[in-house]
Amino acid sequence: MSWVVWRQHRNQAYFAAAALAAFAVLLLVTGLQMASQYRSALTLCAASHSCDNLSNTLSLESPAVSVLVTLTVAVPCLLGVFWGGPLVAREFETGTSQFAWMQGVSRTRWLSVTLGWVLLASALWGGAVSGLVTWWSSPVNSLMQQNFQPSQFDIQGIVPIGYAVFAVALGIAAGALLRRTLPAMAITLVVFTLLRLIVSEDFRSIYLTPITRSVSFLQHGRAFMPAGSYWLVSGGLVGPNGPVRTGPLGSGPTLSVNGVRIPIAALPSACRTLLFEAPSKTVGGFPSCMAAHGYRAVLRYQPAGRYWAFQGIETGIFVFLAAAFIAVTAIVVLRRDA
Amino acid sequence: MASSDPAVIQTRGLSKRYRRVTALSDATIIVPEGRISALIGQNGAGKTTLLRLLAGLARPTGGEVAVLGRRPSQDSAFVAGIGFLAQEIPLYRRFTAADHIRIGAHLNARWDEASVRHRLESLSIPLGQRVGTLSGGQRAQLALALTLAKRPRLLLLDEPVAALDPLARRQFLAHLAEAVAVGDLTVVLSSHLIVDLERICDHLILLAASRVQLCGDIDTLLAEHQVLIGPAKDTSAIERDHTVVQAVRTARQTTLLIRKNGPVIDPAYEASDVGLEELVLGYMGQQAAPAPARLTTIGESK
Repeated sequence: MSWVVWRQHRNQAYFAAAALAAFAVLLLVTGLQMASQYRSALTLCAASHSCDNLSNTLSLESPAVSVLVTLTVAVPCLLGVFWGGPLVAREFETGTSQFAWMQGVSRTRWLSVTLGWVLLASALWGGAVSGLVTWWSSPVNSLMQQNFQPSQFDIQGIVPIGYAVFAVALGIAAGALLRRTLPAMAITLVVFTLLRLIVSEDFRSIYLTPITRSVSFLQHGRAFMPAGSYWLVSGGLVGPNGPVRTGPLGSGPTLSVNGVRIPIAALPSACRTLLFEAPSKTVGGFPSCMAAHGYRAVLRYQPAGRYWAFQGIETGIFVFLAAAFIAVTAIVVLRRDA
Repeated sequence: MASSDPAVIQTRGLSKRYRRVTALSDATIIVPEGRISALIGQNGAGKTTLLRLLAGLARPTGGEVAVLGRRPSQDSAFVAGIGFLAQEIPLYRRFTAADHIRIGAHLNARWDEASVRHRLESLSIPLGQRVGTLSGGQRAQLALALTLAKRPRLLLLDEPVAALDPLARRQFLAHLAEAVAVGDLTVVLSSHLIVDLERICDHLILLAASRVQLCGDIDTLLAEHQVLIGPAKDTSAIERDHTVVQAVRTARQTTLLIRKNGPVIDPAYEASDVGLEELVLGYMGQQAAPAPARLTTIGESK
C-alpha cells in the first residue's frame, strides 16, 4: 500500500523536494553570511561600547531574501491546496476510487495509509521550511527582538508544522466532501486563510492574559520597555480620569502612543501647545507636562518568556482542527457510497 | 448447470433510493455459481446501481443482499473475491500498464501477474505507455486483465463493451469467455447489445424502471415463454390461463407474448418459440406501456 501511495504522489514529492532544496541553498548561503556579519558587528560594537544602538545602525537582511522568507507564510496553504485538495477529490472525479477500492485492501487501510503518509510529508515539509527560516532568522531575532511579532511568529518555530498539517487535512476533507478537485482547492485556500486570520487576530493575544504595564512619561528610551522579544498587544494612555479613549480615525490630528492613536484633542490643553509649537525643542517639555497632569502610558503585552508556550498552544489548536477534519474525511469516505 | 448450484448472488427486496430518485426497487435475484449472467435494461433502469450494490461500493437503503455468502462490504476479505469493472473503465491515466500491474501486485494477496502480462502481450498492448494514450479497446482489455488477475470468484462488469468498436468488442468478449472457461468464475455483465450477450450468457437479469422483470437461466426463461399469433379476437381466454407479457393488436391479427402456465391449447393461435431479443423487447415494451398490475411480480415468482 505504501508503495502505491509513493507511486501516486512521487511527482509532487520530487517537485516539493526540489523547491525545498533550492530554498535551503539560498538560506544557507545568505544565512551564513548574515551570521558572520552579525558576529563581527558584535565584536566591533563591544569594543566601542555601542551595542545598545546596534539595531539602529546594523542592517542584516537583503531585502529580496527577506521578502522570500516572509512569503514562506504561504507554504502551509500551498501544501493544503496542492497536496490535500486533490488527494481524495481526484480519485472520485476520475472514478479511480472504484479501481483503488476494489483491489484486495479494505477502504479503511487505503485511507489510513494514504492519509498517514501525506500528513507526515506535510509535517516534514512545513517543519523543514520553518526550521530553515528559524535558523536563518536567528541573528535578526537577536538583533531586532521581533520574533514574537505575528509576521515572524507565523513562519518560525513549530507553528508552521501545525499549519501545514491542518491545511492538508482541510484540503483532504474538502475533497472528500465535494468530490471535485478545483472546488476543493479553492475552498481550502479560502477556509485556511480565514481560519488563520481569525486565530491570529482574535485569539492568539488571549492564550494567556496579557501583562499590563503603565509607564510614567518621565521615563523614556528603551529603559521602560519590557525585556527581550515581547509582543505588544495594545498600548494607550491613562489620564487622571481613567483611560483616554481612542478617537475614530480621521477626526483631527492624533498622537501615537505605543501604536495606539490618541486624538490630540483629548490631551490637556497646556501640553497640547507644547506638542505643537516647536516639537524638536519641547521634547523634554511635553512628557513633563503630561506627567505633571497625571498621565501615564500603558502597554499590554505578552512577555518574551511566553514565546514557546504560545507556539505550543497555537500548534495544538491547529493539530486539533486537523484531527477533526481527518475524522470528517474518514466518516465521509467510509460511510458514503463510493 | 443444475439448478442446485449454490447461489453466488442472492438478494431479497433489495432497494436503493437516492434523495429523490429510486434507483432500484425491491429487487429479488439469484445468480447460481458458474453462470454468465446478462444484466439487461434501458438506461436508468438500475443496472449500475445493482452492480455497485453487489460490489459494496454503494449501500442498499432496503432489503437484503448476500454475495459469495457475505454482506457486501469494504473489507479486504470481501473485495478480494470480487472483480469489478466500472462503466467508465477508471484507470490512472498518467500511469502505464506496468504501473497498474505493480499496483495490483501490492494491493492484492492473490495476484496472477503472469496472466496479465501474457494477456497484454498477446493483445500487443504496450506495457510502458501511459494508459491515457491507449485506445478505448486497449484500456478496456487492460482493465479486464487487471480485474481477472485478482482471480475473483465473481466478476461484475458494467457495460464494458459499450464504447468499443465491433472488433474490440469481440476480442473483449473472447477474453472474458476464455477466463470463464478456465476458472470457477461467475459473471454478471450489463450491456445493451443483446446479440453480444446472447453469444456468451446463460443467465438473464432483466431490469425495467428500477424493478426486476425477469431473473433466471435463459434456456428456462425462453422455454417458459411463447409467441402466439392469431386473428384479432377476444384474448380473455388466454389471459385467464397464461400471463400476457405483451399484446400487439392490429386490425387483422393479434400477437401475444405469453408466459405459459401449462400447455397452450387454442387452435386459433399459431404458437412459436421466442428468442432472447424478442423476450427482452417484449418485457421492455410492456414496461413502457401501462402494465397490468400482476405482471410486475413476475420476477419474484421464481
